Amino acid sequence: MMLLNIAFRNVITHRKRSIITMLLGAVSTALLVFSSAWMDGSHQQMIKNGVEIYSGYIQITGAKFRENPSFDHLLFDVETLQSHVEAVQGVQLFSPRFESFVLYSVGEKAVGGMLTGIDPEKERSISRLHASLTAGNYLTQNDTNKLYIGQELALRLNVGVGDEVVFIGNGADYSFAADRLVVKGIFQTGLYEFDASSAFLAKPYFDMIMASDNMATHGIVLPENLEKSETLAAAIEEVVGVEYQTASWQQTMAALLKSMKLDSVFGYITLAIIFTAIFFVIMIYTLLVVYARLREIGIMRAIGTTPGQILTILILESSILGFLSVCAGGLLGAVFAYYFYLHPMVFSGMEEQFKQYGLAASAIPTAFEPVTIVRDMLIMFILLLLSTLYPILKVNRYQPIEAIHHV
Amino acid sequence: MYRMVLRMAWASLIRRTTRSMMVVLMICVSLWGLLLMQGIYDGMTEQMISNAIRSDSGHLSLFGHGYRLDPALDKRIQGGGLNSTKLATLLDHDSGVASWVGRLNQEGLIATAHYSRNTIITGIDPKREEIHGNLQNYLIQGKYGFGQSGKGAIIGFKLAERLQVDIGSKIILSAQDLNSEVTSIALHVSGILKTNNMGLDESGVFIDINIARKFLGVVHGLTQVSIMMLDDKHISDMQSSLQDILPDLEILRWDEMYPALMQSRVMMRGFSLVVSLMIFGVAGLGIFGVILVSVLERIREFGIMLAIGTEFGQIRTVVLAESLCLGVSGFMAGSLCGGLSLWYFKIHGLDLTLFSDAFEEFGMDAVTYAIIRPEYFVTAFTAVIIATLISGYFPLRILRKRKPIEIINEV
Repeated sequence: MMLLNIAFRNVITHRKRSIITMLLGAVSTALLVFSSAWMDGSHQQMIKNGVEIYSGYIQITGAKFRENPSFDHLLFDVETLQSHVEAVQGVQLFSPRFESFVLYSVGEKAVGGMLTGIDPEKERSISRLHASLTAGNYLTQNDTNKLYIGQELALRLNVGVGDEVVFIGNGADYSFAADRLVVKGIFQTGLYEFDASSAFLAKPYFDMIMASDNMATHGIVLPENLEKSETLAAAIEEVVGVEYQTASWQQTMAALLKSMKLDSVFGYITLAIIFTAIFFVIMIYTLLVVYARLREIGIMRAIGTTPGQILTILILESSILGFLSVCAGGLLGAVFAYYFYLHPMVFSGMEEQFKQYGLAASAIPTAFEPVTIVRDMLIMFILLLLSTLYPILKVNRYQPIEAIHHV
Repeated sequence: MYRMVLRMAWASLIRRTTRSMMVVLMICVSLWGLLLMQGIYDGMTEQMISNAIRSDSGHLSLFGHGYRLDPALDKRIQGGGLNSTKLATLLDHDSGVASWVGRLNQEGLIATAHYSRNTIITGIDPKREEIHGNLQNYLIQGKYGFGQSGKGAIIGFKLAERLQVDIGSKIILSAQDLNSEVTSIALHVSGILKTNNMGLDESGVFIDINIARKFLGVVHGLTQVSIMMLDDKHISDMQSSLQDILPDLEILRWDEMYPALMQSRVMMRGFSLVVSLMIFGVAGLGIFGVILVSVLERIREFGIMLAIGTEFGQIRTVVLAESLCLGVSGFMAGSLCGGLSLWYFKIHGLDLTLFSDAFEEFGMDAVTYAIIRPEYFVTAFTAVIIATLISGYFPLRILRKRKPIEIINEV
């Protein structure tokens, strides 16, 4: 307790060093906390976009469909599969989709794109298709040749609600399929590529024209608990057997997840460069202060204070400074992270770049996760303590008489 | 006199070796990291830009009026064959043009026996593309070219993966021809390329331009002319002069075709500037602390010097020389380490193939070749000098305000 008192008094006595060390420590901590919140926030947003707009939390396909996405590896008995999947505990619903690439044609213009048969009601829960409606109406299960089309694709075909679009493609049995469709609604998810190449039909009618009754290219499962997608996917795979492949979003978006990690690595490398400079500055200031007190330390040693006690006092000083600066910085970083979590940052003018990275909106919220904040504060505390170790150990090596006579 | 000043400054720095070394080490390590970061990050951005320029846009791209908004064959650049148009003559005779190529693009569908996808079909002259953007260097499988019959096709690697096709596989291309009729052609895959231009890798199919002309029923004209300049500083001038001569065409610079890449470059520069400011700001604080203590612990010495007639200007020079010595030594060490590392990565590249699928997600090369720009060093040197001068200024102000007699009598 006495040592803590001495350390505390020393912190107050050497005000300038304390203020500078604390400022640097606090700024570094705030920077780390906020950068982590920003990186995690933007990554979560990208994943959320990727998963929730269309691709879904869990996908079930035919066993070989991923390696060879041909109509030979479809889900062939969807109804039975659906009953098995929906019986698994933790499954909220299952919705089949049938994707086919076709050539759309309007007047003299033809554009390649994806035509997908969906269950309009279930899609409301598993994707943002319904919420992305910009003109006309969303599909219903009883719709016949009514097309729900992406805004960019509609622009490329120069069609609006009520206009006719012809398509030519292959049915599930590889037969030639073609039909006249009428645009019922237009959607815009914000994912440019998706909006520029996708259109949807109600599955019952789609099945009729594409000969795909009771078939699907894949099915989407909505888990009751989104956090447990991975374990639920494994449970479903056990139930449905080897005929099918069940993949959680962590598997279907593995490349995206890896790219997020890579982005974080680069972010932390940049922070590490800044922190290196800060680490050295704190080390220099600690060195200056302990050397300025070398005589005092020599006298303390001469009157019987042990090197261990001196070491404890100096480390306690660094710990007090480190603790205070990490608390202040952590709080500051957390306040900013929380503010931008509630009020996402808007980057107007950067839409093109956002499109490239698959961000559907130019507003990005930060992540506010207390556990991550505490982790960053702990890392900074250890770093701050480490930066003071060398000067402390160096000064403690002096003999009392040497220290007293040090100029 | 300057020799004496330098000797005094040097002696003072040597007297406190540990702390002087720490300051030099601080500047060196921070600068090393900063230079590496700038060179590698710029390398990544410039490689993405270069891939887009080489594989598609060139420095300038010419399109028929309205083609960009509505890419239909009837909005192509009309005219004679490749070499007989006014445009060809114009470009062939322009001394600023390094190379140019004409292409015939059409959206369509690519299908195998089991699967189909939308695609961008591009008719090219492989020999001209070879000179223009070294397209052959992007080939990862097969042969560059379309075979003697011209019935080969070079396709993007992601498209090949999705269609599960290999060299020799048969593919069917369907598209609308000039008369708005849907037409198809059977070709075999002769090559697979990886440009890291995401659009091309995911949906690009290159075919022989003469086959494309027959397939699409386009005897004359091109949908895109891509121009590579000898000096990229003249892109804007060339754009305006071509626009004056060819008012009916849309002439776009690469950054107008790929605004996201330009935004990446601007953002990367802004980011580097902010990081540099932070690092040099912090480094300046470190130098300031050392110089302040150095002045304060010698304040009696300076008081005596002032009392025996040394001018304040001389003392100022000694302190600033000390400060500059620290700064310049750190800069030289950091520049040497940073420069050598960048040079290594410029020659051998930074190989991050471990993350190759993550890089592909962003349309980036897994091996990054660093860039070394003189401005990195000039900016760093200027920043170090400014930081050291400011760091020396405040301790000198403290000294200036004090009277010699007060300083000498201070215990």
